[in-house]
Amino acid sequence: MNELLLPIAEVSGDFFKDRSGGGCIQDNKLFCPGWVADNYDRYVDPTLQHLVLVLSSVAAGFLIAFALAILAHRHRWLSSPFLAGTGILYTIPSISFFFLLLPITGRGQLTAIIALTAFTLQIIFRNITTGLRNVPPNVTEAARGVGLTSQQMLWRVELPLALPEIVAGLRIATVSTVALATLAVFANGGGLGAEIIVGSNITFKTGIIVAGGIAVIMAILFDGLILLAGKLLTPWERAAL
Amino acid sequence: MPDISRVAENSSPNGATASPVRYIGVSKRYPGAESDAVHDLNLEVPAGEICVLVGPSGCGKTTAMRMVNRTVEITEGDILIGDRSVKDGDGAKLRREIGYVIQQIGLFPHRTISQNIATVPNLLDWGKPRIEERVKTLLELIGLDPEMGDRYPSQLSGGQQQRVGVARALAVDPPVMLMDEPFGAIDPINRSRLQNEFLRLQAELRKTILFVTHDVDEAIKMGDKIAVMRKGGEVAQFATPTELLMEPADDFVEDFVGADRALKRLALMRVKDVDLWEAPLTRAGEPTGPVKTALAASDIEVPHPLLVDGENRPIGWLSDRDLLAERVPAIPDSIADLKIDADQTLRDGLAALLQSGSLYAPVVDGRGRLTGVLSAEIVSDFLASPEAAEIAIPAVDRPHE
Amino acid sequence: MIAAPIAALGLFGDAFNFVFTPQEAEGGGVMVGGLDQVGELAAKQLEVTVLALGVALVLALPVGLLLGHYGKGEFVAVSAGNAGRAIPELALIALMAAAVGVGLFNLVVALAILGIPPILTNTFVGIKQVDRSSVEAAKGMGMTNREIMTKVELPLAVPTIMGGVRTASINIIATATIAPLAGILTLGDFIISRNVYGDAGVLAGAILVALMAITIECLLAGVQWALTSRGIKLQRAA
Repeated sequence: MNELLLPIAEVSGDFFKDRSGGGCIQDNKLFCPGWVADNYDRYVDPTLQHLVLVLSSVAAGFLIAFALAILAHRHRWLSSPFLAGTGILYTIPSISFFFLLLPITGRGQLTAIIALTAFTLQIIFRNITTGLRNVPPNVTEAARGVGLTSQQMLWRVELPLALPEIVAGLRIATVSTVALATLAVFANGGGLGAEIIVGSNITFKTGIIVAGGIAVIMAILFDGLILLAGKLLTPWERAAL
Repeated sequence: MPDISRVAENSSPNGATASPVRYIGVSKRYPGAESDAVHDLNLEVPAGEICVLVGPSGCGKTTAMRMVNRTVEITEGDILIGDRSVKDGDGAKLRREIGYVIQQIGLFPHRTISQNIATVPNLLDWGKPRIEERVKTLLELIGLDPEMGDRYPSQLSGGQQQRVGVARALAVDPPVMLMDEPFGAIDPINRSRLQNEFLRLQAELRKTILFVTHDVDEAIKMGDKIAVMRKGGEVAQFATPTELLMEPADDFVEDFVGADRALKRLALMRVKDVDLWEAPLTRAGEPTGPVKTALAASDIEVPHPLLVDGENRPIGWLSDRDLLAERVPAIPDSIADLKIDADQTLRDGLAALLQSGSLYAPVVDGRGRLTGVLSAEIVSDFLASPEAAEIAIPAVDRPHE
Repeated sequence: MIAAPIAALGLFGDAFNFVFTPQEAEGGGVMVGGLDQVGELAAKQLEVTVLALGVALVLALPVGLLLGHYGKGEFVAVSAGNAGRAIPELALIALMAAAVGVGLFNLVVALAILGIPPILTNTFVGIKQVDRSSVEAAKGMGMTNREIMTKVELPLAVPTIMGGVRTASINIIATATIAPLAGILTLGDFIISRNVYGDAGVLAGAILVALMAITIECLLAGVQWALTSRGIKLQRAA
């Protein structure tokens, strides 16, 4: 039997200090507020690590996907292969990815970030491409007619108009990455996953709920922030209302 | 050329499959609405005729039509098809017996043309051989090659798709057809063609048709009877196209029909239907004497002699100089460039006349032989005459070139 | 720096061996690896995935279909997708193991929970976005609601719905990989229990899981291609 499933009581150490009295921890109840109040500072580091994982992966993923999308926009034939390539990266479970990278980058935060980045590529790439493609042709016609070069048109017209779609893609990618980053613990990458598998045990209910809860809250916050940023960057959409 | 006779063989004799439609005190009020969308509608559409519901947007014409097949449910009153109320029985079952054509066509993109046409027959479990036969007949009827049956809607042009939509509605030979701006999404050139083709179809099939449009010119072209509706779902006037043009019931109808309604009426008739004027005729080589005498007559209609050939085909007008000779010359001073076809609409004839800048133009029949002379004055006299008020020509017999 | 890639080649070789030849466990004692064990764990992963995907389909597809057809419950249907994405799989499995208990049934339920949101959302959106004129024509011709849903809306929504199914399967496979944490041994066990299977085992496991995921993806892509009417494929190309 997997040693991770051993009951709390059997795990040695005064790891689980319960000063709130009663046997909340000993009984491994679902949620022990007392314990959480006393021990919340143990979650600070994992949360920060988690933030680093998410932010670097999404940022890197966005940069790479963006570059790919611009290339594919200019050379249409590239879309299919890029889509297929990022698709494969999306399909491979992250945990598998961690260990496929094992021989190259070993275990650690970098491995986790590379794998998480790979996961975000297809979502962001697809959304940028769709957003660019959905720019109304009469707008691009007008832009060309006014004398904008392709380059200028891309940056001043097409990308801004594709923003809603891109923002949507970023939201999806970020929320997914927050959830997925809990697995980074398997690659020795830290993150909130380390508090879900406490030490070498996964039956500590309160711990799971707190760590999982922080992840969910983080996801919701990021989602809201990106949505807000998107709205701020597209004042013309709001004006239409 | 579509072979219409075969359709007649497959269905019951013309007119037998059509049923009259009666609206009896029909009202429709949407929940939470301030007023009725349709208010106390009383209308009788005779079997085998096209009744056009026309009016500004929001007047309830589409709502009124849709109550016949219960895609909109009646709030008050009843609609009878033949002697059956539409409210009897299941809505879906009723709709399978009524043809339905909409503006956006709505062909199923995931099915072939044949499968699209066969939709209702399939729902009614007609059986494969019967369905195949029917689809083949219908494709011919709408003028598409049988191979097109295996294509998908995205492979057809807008006009072709619209025709398939009509075929799909005709699949089970329903007694009543509902058409909601069916040609609205087509470009004007093809729209005219489709309208003409549809009228030719109707001439054979004689279905009872409720046709909704916002275009009064289309209403006049297509309708045997027209119901002009105003906002609030009330009928301002229910009349034949001629009545509508001659005697609009009130200011609203008059405005809606348009200030040019007199001109619109000209589209209802052919050149050969009016009394044309006569000009003194002569042939090459004949003595000019009799012509000069005729010109002096006080009751002359066209004060210029017309030169015709042996077959009575007009060549041109003779001038005073031409008449100075003893005999009529073979080539007149002014050749008749414009010859008006007797089968043309009066409207087109007048347009041609005005465009050419002449006062008169010879009118010829199918073989080019003279039947009379048209002038602008003939047209205006006709419009003012009491005779014009009595003309009521069914849509299928009217010219629709 | 150069040593690492070369060592990597060696490790791949070891991993390859691991799959085919049973060898002694790291900690000694038992024999691990070899086709039998690999086959067993792979079968388990497949079993769990198929069951969970099936349950998710059976639950989410009809609901999405009905909601999309009648145009109700948009908020729930779309939020389900967003919410589902935010669930950390590890926490779900851990909580399941800790609070509810281990076992095949619980695992399948947990995996289905991850699979339902994308299928529900995509089915709803796919059905709702079917060309309204086709639906109106269908209604006007006398199709019943059920006929419209099955003969018109579903076939036309296949690409979007299958997109949701494929996302669901990716989520499920990824989570099934960490199922060993909850006592159900799938291919992920090779990856998680390094102390038993060794580095070779871990790598082998990683490769096998990746292969399985890609294979199932391709299968579903094939299903999507087969289910998509030719008319729609032509429409998209047009």
